[in-house]
Amino acid sequence: MKKQIIIFIILITAFLSCEKDDICIDAITPNLIIRFYNDTLQTELKKVELDSVWAINKNGLSAYKGVSTDSIAIPLDLTENTTKYIIENNSVKDTIEFSYSRNDVFVSRSCGYKTIFDNLQISNNTNNWIKSITINNTTISDEKAAHINIYH
Amino acid sequence: MRKLHILIFITSCWFSIQSYAQQNTDTIKKQESYGIRLGIDVSKPIITFFDKQNKEIEMVGDIRILNNYYLATEIGNTTKTTNEDYLNFTTKGSYIKVGFNYNAYKNWVGMRNEIYVGLRYGISFFSQTLNNYTPNANGTYFNSSPIEIGTKFSGLNAQWYALVFGMKVETLKNLYLGTSVSFNKMISTKEPENFKNLYVPGFNRVFLNDSGVSFNYTLSYLIPIIKKKK
Repeated sequence: MKKQIIIFIILITAFLSCEKDDICIDAITPNLIIRFYNDTLQTELKKVELDSVWAINKNGLSAYKGVSTDSIAIPLDLTENTTKYIIENNSVKDTIEFSYSRNDVFVSRSCGYKTIFDNLQISNNTNNWIKSITINNTTISDEKAAHINIYH
Repeated sequence: MRKLHILIFITSCWFSIQSYAQQNTDTIKKQESYGIRLGIDVSKPIITFFDKQNKEIEMVGDIRILNNYYLATEIGNTTKTTNEDYLNFTTKGSYIKVGFNYNAYKNWVGMRNEIYVGLRYGISFFSQTLNNYTPNANGTYFNSSPIEIGTKFSGLNAQWYALVFGMKVETLKNLYLGTSVSFNKMISTKEPENFKNLYVPGFNRVFLNDSGVSFNYTLSYLIPIIKKKK
């Protein structure tokens, strides 16, 4: 009887103690979310015919090659404080340079640290197909809403 | 968990009463030595030998206070580097665990072995050094490289309680070989800023639900102080 109780307790405690926490399921470094709006009717979403979206000196983002969409989520460079993107819409290219400061925040054992971007600014841009750009949120801490609106 | 511990405590008390009751009817007179038993965890120096990143040492001791009850303690010092997918850190510190063991094993006459359950309170003082981390990026469009940071978080501490199961076997006169497993549950920790105590000396790896498991394999020597007629 005594032995059985001990074995029982060992089993129960072992189950309580062993919980898998090796998989990163928490939110990590967020992408920059851009939504495209109609320039003449600024509340209306307007799709872009993306040929490609790429950061300077990089290959195109595979998710945005030849797609028609009203929003994109693009990663920012974690080693620099600026990232320059080129967005090609209907064979017309526009360049946008984002500047920001970076702040690394601890998430968990398996996820490590994520980067939060503060003071988001458009430090430079061209206006070939883009009419105007507004920043909704200067802090990129999640992917719940668009950080930037582009009117075209 | 707490309920479980209370249950074990009550169960062990009941067993002790039961064993006392049996002793009254025992007609064989023999001497039992009560004393201080001191020992060392023999597994940790071996681990240290093979894994240069880890330096661990643990001393153990217990003293018999009642027929089946022992006051027990473990004192140790740990330096351990943990490598995770996105970070690498070194934990340095010391710990002490105190509590009691209840011997649930009924020996044959002349034998002094133990199969025990025990409770411990543990406290540890330590520092964490975050050696490097790699910001966890969404995808691999930009290369994210490890940042060598080397931030040291000092003055950290942790308290926990533990449920211990173990055994001790007298191999030579007064010389015991022992092994035990300890299930730890955190009570409170002082966490580093923008980091977490993922490893605590004496507690070992801190799982998501603030629990942990630790083992020891000990060699200890009983210094007999008094002999009591059983």
